[in-house]
Amino acid sequence: MENQNAIEVRNMSKYFKIEYDRANTLKDKLLFWNRGNVEVHQVLKNINLNIKKGETVALIGTNGSGKSTLLKLMTKIIFPNDGTIETNGKLTSLLELGAGFHQDFTGRENIYFNASIFGLTRKEIDQRLDKIIEFSELGEFIDNPIRTYSSGMYMRLAFSVAINVDADILLIDEILAVGDQHFQDKCYAKLEELRDSGKTIVIVSHSLGTVKELCHRAIWIYRGELRLDGDPVYVIDEYLKQSAIDHKEEIKKAKQKGIYKSKSIINIDSPRDLSIINNTRESFLLRGWLVTDDEEAKLKVILDGEEVEQIQREPRNDVYDAYLEQFEGYLDADTLGWKAELRVQDLKEGKHILKACCFDRNEKEVTSKEIEFYKE
Amino acid sequence: MQIWKDIYSYRELLKTNVKKDIRGKYKGSFLGVLWSFLNPLLQVVVYWIVFPFIMGRAGTADNYLCYLVTGIIPWTFFTSVVNAGTVSMITNAGIIKKVYFPREILLISQALSGIINFFISCIIVVIFCIGTGAGISYHLILLPVIAVIEMILSLGVIFILSALEVYVQDIEYVVSFLLNMGFYAAPILYQMSVLDGAGLLQRIISLNPFTVLIEGYRDIFMYHQWPDFTSLFMVLILSLVILIVGYGIFKTLEKGFAEKL
Repeated sequence: MENQNAIEVRNMSKYFKIEYDRANTLKDKLLFWNRGNVEVHQVLKNINLNIKKGETVALIGTNGSGKSTLLKLMTKIIFPNDGTIETNGKLTSLLELGAGFHQDFTGRENIYFNASIFGLTRKEIDQRLDKIIEFSELGEFIDNPIRTYSSGMYMRLAFSVAINVDADILLIDEILAVGDQHFQDKCYAKLEELRDSGKTIVIVSHSLGTVKELCHRAIWIYRGELRLDGDPVYVIDEYLKQSAIDHKEEIKKAKQKGIYKSKSIINIDSPRDLSIINNTRESFLLRGWLVTDDEEAKLKVILDGEEVEQIQREPRNDVYDAYLEQFEGYLDADTLGWKAELRVQDLKEGKHILKACCFDRNEKEVTSKEIEFYKE
Repeated sequence: MQIWKDIYSYRELLKTNVKKDIRGKYKGSFLGVLWSFLNPLLQVVVYWIVFPFIMGRAGTADNYLCYLVTGIIPWTFFTSVVNAGTVSMITNAGIIKKVYFPREILLISQALSGIINFFISCIIVVIFCIGTGAGISYHLILLPVIAVIEMILSLGVIFILSALEVYVQDIEYVVSFLLNMGFYAAPILYQMSVLDGAGLLQRIISLNPFTVLIEGYRDIFMYHQWPDFTSLFMVLILSLVILIVGYGIFKTLEKGFAEKL
């Protein structure tokens, strides 16, 4: 192992055996001894990786891509089937917060329990105790049994211990989502501080914004294989593109099988429901948006039972950003919105009903939104 | 050796675990730690009342109350360690799956809290020795030696059992049966003289390492004489062999713990 490396992974593969109808009891084993349905699920395939000392690296990938497994392998909780993983330096993994907490002991005592699992000695914990308590913002509650804590207090205490364990290598699995915004910012600042003090950090995260700002490097694990490794901005961009393609593919497959129910969301922004339109204006605006993953979906806007012909599509970046993840690969920011300008004088006085709906190719209504407004 | 390095660097975990075992177990109960003595004590009382009726005077020894206490309390030390140790990988599954630390710490702390509990219980044994007129003597200096041998033996046993338990959960039930049986396979309730002429059974029971240990405890507590050093030494050797073999088994099976649990 080279000295400049904190983690070295060589030709490493990991698979899990999944046994269906696992013969658990002796009776089953005797009766069905040759019928074991064992499926080998390859989680990681031939991974080669160097992580240098002082680097902050993010592992990204979709759920089930094997990134958390890789993190567990680095922690030495599980072991590779082929190849090797070597680490150099004191390693702490924050896969779970509050490991070893005991409900009946006080927060202070639990700091000792929890920190000792990370391999700290009493002296080292004593040195950090004030820092941990201060970071957790628990104040006098620290001497109450933790069964009296709220879940937020519990997590704050657990995170404070974990983040204050000075390890050379820190492995973190999606735990930045702790507490309120204020506490999250604090955790984030602490991580930046650790990064700048030359620790090696490996993070598994889905919050790509954080990754871009915090990490020197991103590694994209795609279906158990190392797909891309490099600057976070580029890797994340490629990752998002691939996810969009996969998402589309998945839906296409589901559609072919006929089990897919397409999703559509429609909205009317203007006029507002139950609003009143004055005669003083010359024209008024009908405006809204439609997101759908059905490529053949058609939009119809109906005013008092008659289709509005003058509908134009317009760009809506706000809607695009909001639904990007949910409708990956289907959205075109430039045509999400719709609008139509009508003359006020064409409108009769009294109540009007505006309906925006989305039809699929069989002319079946998928989704709709209806509002009413009045003209005075 | 890696194991000593591990234990040394995780000594705080060992300490907090022992503390949790001893204090945490009864936290919230009114009598607290007293329960760990009260239980065997109540057991002693039951046997003391019932047994002379069943066995008659012949099976029971002089000063039977003291005889029972010096047998049951050391036996409780072993059973409590084995019972808790066997399932300790399962009860700690949560942290085993999520955090890396030397797994053997869990078992070593189990054995340590067992021996500490036992030493505290020995105060009660001494009270009984004095109270029943048997008295105490300087032979008690050997108490730590016998207790450590018993601890080594129980640690070796739980190394094997706890590792197997992860893969085959039936172990737990087998163990509880074997412990029940073991209670009668050593002269805890009866005297060895009852078995005179029983042939094979007598032979088996006299070979039981617990027979040696418990007679050793009785020698130093009750009879004020030195125990049989040769037999004790043999038991020590046996315990060390079980410990080393057990540790080997544990280390081999350990790698699959996180996946199996």
